[in-house]
Amino acid sequence: MSLLAKDPTRFAETRIEDETVVMSLETGDFFSLTGTAQAIWRLLDGTRDRAALLSALAESHGVTADGIAAEVDSFIDELRAAGLISTVR
Amino acid sequence: MTAALAVSPPVHPALALMARETRVRHGVVPRALGGHEVGRDQYLLAGDRYLMRAADGIAVHYRRGEGLTLELPAMADPRDVALWLNGSVYAAIAAINGLLPIHASAVTWQGRVHAFSGPPGAGKSTLAAALGAGAMPLFCDDTLVLDLSGEGAVQCLPGHRRLKLWPDGAALAGAAPGEQVASHYSKRFVEPVAGTVEAVLPLAAIHFLEPGEEPRLQPISAGERIARLQDDHYTAELFERARGLSRADRFAQLAAIAARVSMTRFARPFDPARFREGRDFIADIIREGGAT
Repeated sequence: MSLLAKDPTRFAETRIEDETVVMSLETGDFFSLTGTAQAIWRLLDGTRDRAALLSALAESHGVTADGIAAEVDSFIDELRAAGLISTVR
Repeated sequence: MTAALAVSPPVHPALALMARETRVRHGVVPRALGGHEVGRDQYLLAGDRYLMRAADGIAVHYRRGEGLTLELPAMADPRDVALWLNGSVYAAIAAINGLLPIHASAVTWQGRVHAFSGPPGAGKSTLAAALGAGAMPLFCDDTLVLDLSGEGAVQCLPGHRRLKLWPDGAALAGAAPGEQVASHYSKRFVEPVAGTVEAVLPLAAIHFLEPGEEPRLQPISAGERIARLQDDHYTAELFERARGLSRADRFAQLAAIAARVSMTRFARPFDPARFREGRDFIADIIREGGAT
């Protein structure tokens, strides 16, 4: 099982109003997270693999896992490319 | 017999600090800081020290607690000296002492500060001058110094007493251009119509100026607030160097400011013929206490 986890050595984050703002410590780039993106970010705690992540999101948002898979994969790829998350085995 | 006791209001600690730290003495300015040579048209800020050598030969050295040392070339133009001391040098000293200088001009209304930021040419000073005609006193021109200590609203230190405008900006604002700002800088000083403010006041909002088809005000999200503060290269770099902050420290600090300061994007036509539309729009917003 490959667990998805944020790498806290690679970013700084803050919550202001209804928005989570994440900055890459390597590049200084900002990510402004709201809605589903914010929920995904919160769930990337190293206890879930992709399937469990999709399942948790589907349940909390009242949708099917298949219905949100593409959007979630795209966001995960973006976070991985920015070096903010890693896969823990 | 009774005697009236004259009691002066207490001076705000940040104002007292800046008054103390900007005292000037004339002398020889070192050529290097921390082993790094500083040539003409260069500056270096490291820790609690700042060294600037202008292209015209004016040189300034500052060290916290010691004030400024000023070295002038023969026939230095007093206007040029004042421009340096009131601009870049003032901002650097503020940053070294834990204050945050922002590239903005500002007016006051009912005891609060409304600031305008944007790139050079965006019309910060022109708008501040024009709002003066609407009875909004000038708070600062070009550099707004923020005191982030304490809880609650961010406090602002009053800035310099005159606006600097290009002649066309003065015409738009309905102001009479005065003397030239400096020998190498053809902006003109303009006296603020509604006067100035001497007190430290809370910040109501920072409005970022940008062109638009119609006057419009939009709140800025938290992420963009942080990014906008980070993009204020004029002063962010000074502050970062002065405080020796890591990227994570800097982020935490900007986030703390973003959480406390209201910011908007203020779009308006840049066509001079429609200048009044933008002025009247923002004046109404400020009078109504909006955008906070």
